[in-house]
Amino acid sequence: MVAAPPGSYAGATTALAVLMLVIEFGMLQATLLRAQVRLYVAQSVVISVLAVVVAVGREVPELFGLAVFSVALKVVAVPLVMLRLLRRTDPEIAGSRAMGVASMVLLAVVVGAFGFFASARFGLVSPVLPTATLAVAVAIVLVSFVLMIVRRDVVSQAIGFFALENGVSLASLVVAAGLPLLLEVAFLFDLLVAVVVFAVLIRVHHEQSESLSTAGLTELQG
Amino acid sequence: MTLPLPLIQALQVLIVAAAAPGINGVIARVEARLQGRRGPRVLQPYYDLGKLYCKETLAPHGASWVFLAAPLVAMTCYLTVPLLIPVLTAYALPLGDMGDILAGGIILAFASFMVAVAAAGTGSPYAQLGASRAKTFAAITEPVVLFVVFTVALVSGTDLPYAMAETVTTSAEQVVRPAHLLSAAALFMVILYETARIPVETHTGTNEFGMIEEARQFEHTGPYLALLRHGSAMKQLILFVIFLNIVVAPWGLAADAGLLAVVLAVIALLGKSVLLGGVIAVIDDSFAKLRLFKITEFVAAAFMLAVLAVITLYLGGG
Amino acid sequence: MEAVLVALVTLPLLGAALSVLPGHSVAPVATVSVGVACFALTLVLVPAAAEGPVEFGFLRADAISVVFEIGTGFLYAMAAVYSVGYLRWERDRPDFARYSLLFFAGLNLFAWAMLSAALMNGLALLWIAVEITTVVSALLVALDGTRAGAEAAWKYVLLASAGLGVALLATIVIYSAGATVLGPSYDLAFAPLLAAGDALPETPVQLAFVLAVVGFGTKVGLFPVHTWLPDAHSEAPTPISAMLSGSLLAVSFYAVLRYYQVAAAALGDGFPRAVLLVFGMLSLLLAALYLVEQRNLKRLLAYSSVEHMGILAIGVSFGAPIALAGVLLHVLAHAAAKGSAFFGAGVLVHAYGSKDVGRIRGGLDRLPVSAPLFLLAVLALSAMPPFGLFRSEFQIVAGGLAETRHVPAVAMVALVALAFVGLSVATTRMLFLPGEAVTSRAEPSAWMVAPVVVGILALLVLGLHPPAPLVELITRGAAELGGVL
Repeated sequence: MVAAPPGSYAGATTALAVLMLVIEFGMLQATLLRAQVRLYVAQSVVISVLAVVVAVGREVPELFGLAVFSVALKVVAVPLVMLRLLRRTDPEIAGSRAMGVASMVLLAVVVGAFGFFASARFGLVSPVLPTATLAVAVAIVLVSFVLMIVRRDVVSQAIGFFALENGVSLASLVVAAGLPLLLEVAFLFDLLVAVVVFAVLIRVHHEQSESLSTAGLTELQG
Repeated sequence: MTLPLPLIQALQVLIVAAAAPGINGVIARVEARLQGRRGPRVLQPYYDLGKLYCKETLAPHGASWVFLAAPLVAMTCYLTVPLLIPVLTAYALPLGDMGDILAGGIILAFASFMVAVAAAGTGSPYAQLGASRAKTFAAITEPVVLFVVFTVALVSGTDLPYAMAETVTTSAEQVVRPAHLLSAAALFMVILYETARIPVETHTGTNEFGMIEEARQFEHTGPYLALLRHGSAMKQLILFVIFLNIVVAPWGLAADAGLLAVVLAVIALLGKSVLLGGVIAVIDDSFAKLRLFKITEFVAAAFMLAVLAVITLYLGGG
Repeated sequence: MEAVLVALVTLPLLGAALSVLPGHSVAPVATVSVGVACFALTLVLVPAAAEGPVEFGFLRADAISVVFEIGTGFLYAMAAVYSVGYLRWERDRPDFARYSLLFFAGLNLFAWAMLSAALMNGLALLWIAVEITTVVSALLVALDGTRAGAEAAWKYVLLASAGLGVALLATIVIYSAGATVLGPSYDLAFAPLLAAGDALPETPVQLAFVLAVVGFGTKVGLFPVHTWLPDAHSEAPTPISAMLSGSLLAVSFYAVLRYYQVAAAALGDGFPRAVLLVFGMLSLLLAALYLVEQRNLKRLLAYSSVEHMGILAIGVSFGAPIALAGVLLHVLAHAAAKGSAFFGAGVLVHAYGSKDVGRIRGGLDRLPVSAPLFLLAVLALSAMPPFGLFRSEFQIVAGGLAETRHVPAVAMVALVALAFVGLSVATTRMLFLPGEAVTSRAEPSAWMVAPVVVGILALLVLGLHPPAPLVELITRGAAELGGVL
């Protein structure tokens, strides 16, 4: 079997989507608060670039607007809020892995692969992007769940949620590129509110337990 | 004027054997420059090898025949692989279809295996450490190479290196496809590991606990050590060639057997290798060496990229 | 009527704005008056919505949403009244001024988000409103500033947000399904989506529905994604616990209902009903088992919420008109009953300084007014006649039998009985077992008793003779839900 090349537009967009997934894998093992936030910023930059590529390649001008808003919020505002509110915390989150890096990556690969193959059965077709990007989006969503589960520190868990949102944004680019800009912007502002609340709660957590680890959160059971 | 094909083929082997230490010299030089030092001459590795080739041979007491055979076997392997891969030409040479890309991989792995066995046979703790570490990490890097090969095979519909190189050159679409980019990245990481570069090892010949490649040659002396050193350099150039001429940039290869084309191909090959060496030198200078336990993470990352490459390809995305 | 819709989504914001003004009495007065006004406004909507949907801009109130509005408005008003008394207990906090400000502002914002959610015309806007309810309520859960509160808030916000991430995926998928009929760019409003019905592609709608049930189900408290719920309910300040349990879960269930409508229109009844039945049964089973063992009073009530959400899901899965009417009535009755029960439990917990069921003894002696009221609330919660929950659960079971879903109906009755045992054993122990000699009666202020009385009266009305306009509204809502209209 010779796989025909997908065409440079499809190839480039899929490659960008896969790059987001690779960054997501990076989050599994980031050891510093700043590194974690930076990875998120990188992922957000990639999805903004992807939005621009789709806007140009498939002539969906609203996506320019989306890209601008997503840069303003995810690349500028979110990291700013996170880092500002967490200035006084310990920057080290290295010891929060529930398992070894290699097993974590293997687990994530398995989960991501499951997402890849499951999404092939959805029967969703995209007007603007190759279907494989949807598979990547589903994989990103699943891997961010892995991230939230295997990392036991509040920062990684929060970033896991934001990355989950990035995965959903990617999915929305794929199957719902026509979503009115107003709604997209509303989603983004919602995310910003969530980020502020996450940051506040991280601070509350830090004040209460003097660490970013969630290993001590075992009081409430049953 | 056209050259006979067997001559070109011999030239492939010769150019690899001859240029390999020079690439090391260039990398060392660039690295030194980036650090603000003058650095050794580019030709320094040749002088080193020359000196070693002239020295006497000592073998540890009780070392078996494998100890002495290993450098020769390894060298033979490194001389065989350039026959199979497109070093200079874009078309298959007479012996080029003797083995596919898997065969090339197996031969390289065999060389590394022999060196490890020889090191393990010496009874020296350093050499044994090096051997066992090399094999431990190879347990992950070998599958990476396999996955890269699978990707290559799925993309080109064949496992012949020449065909793959040809597929890449056909269109820009082949270059930007994600499977291709991912497998290239994975292969690059494996090359960093295999050539003992930062972030896996320091390549300066200093003896320390973290070493892998250096440690395996610890007990060899004289011409045998020279063979091993030379072999390592050749392995590096061979991996560069695989990376450049099959996966990333198979441009500048000779399209026919004309003398001019071949000469240009030699120049292109050296130019590309030096460029890649420069990139590696920059990496060497920008990152710190990983702790030994972190190397698993490094190769696991390469593994993940390779698996992703196969999966995206399988999904038809690319 | 349009003015009422606008007022419902602006008044609570006004209340929140007034709450941050300086002055001790401004915030409570503003909150109580806005809360009561909102409840009154939701009642004003009843006759109009029983005739047909009221729309204004991106706001829309049909019979289903008005039912949820009434429940939310009622709890908003009751919680506001209760809070006036509740905050007197917190007077000795060193940071009382800040606490009070955050509490009232947060309560108003929380109510605003929930009231808005049920009025949003469109699945995307609905998601946004539900997400806002999450973040606001998470802050309120952490308000007490205890270690356990921080833990509960973190678990809550993380799980609920992850769930809502999945729900967002559902929104996207349903959008792409709708795009095949309604063109590439539209706003996910309900009416066109429902009208598209049959023409929607099957697999994406199935996928979206399952994702929505799991995603919004996280906030509803459906098994197996209910785990945040007991933590958050037990650690939040009591008025917030009541609103979480009575309204927030219901509003999230409202979102599931909207997806159910679309899925039923596109796929027929079979698939969505089967999904809801599985989730509902598992939640009911889990809650019934936990209720028997639970030692923490507020967690006990939280698991009772899981139980009732399970009953709602099962009721929808039965699908008979009488069961659907029962579901909508259940939403109202549960809001009243759970609110009253939490308000009563708050008084008990404060009087004994402990949430441990084993430490609370002789409640009837120490709290001669609040304790009997709490008992009545728990009995109402356990669906005893003559309270509203009896009527609604009866209707649901009757609907199940009418649809010849005998096994689930019988299983539901058995599990509800088991839950009743758990709740009533704990309650009788707390209230009737003799405790230490009573030194002082600890009756709280009238502010904290009145909401419970009103709640129990409301339950009696719902159980004995629901007012005619409300019955019309519920009938219409059941018809909308059943896809008849």
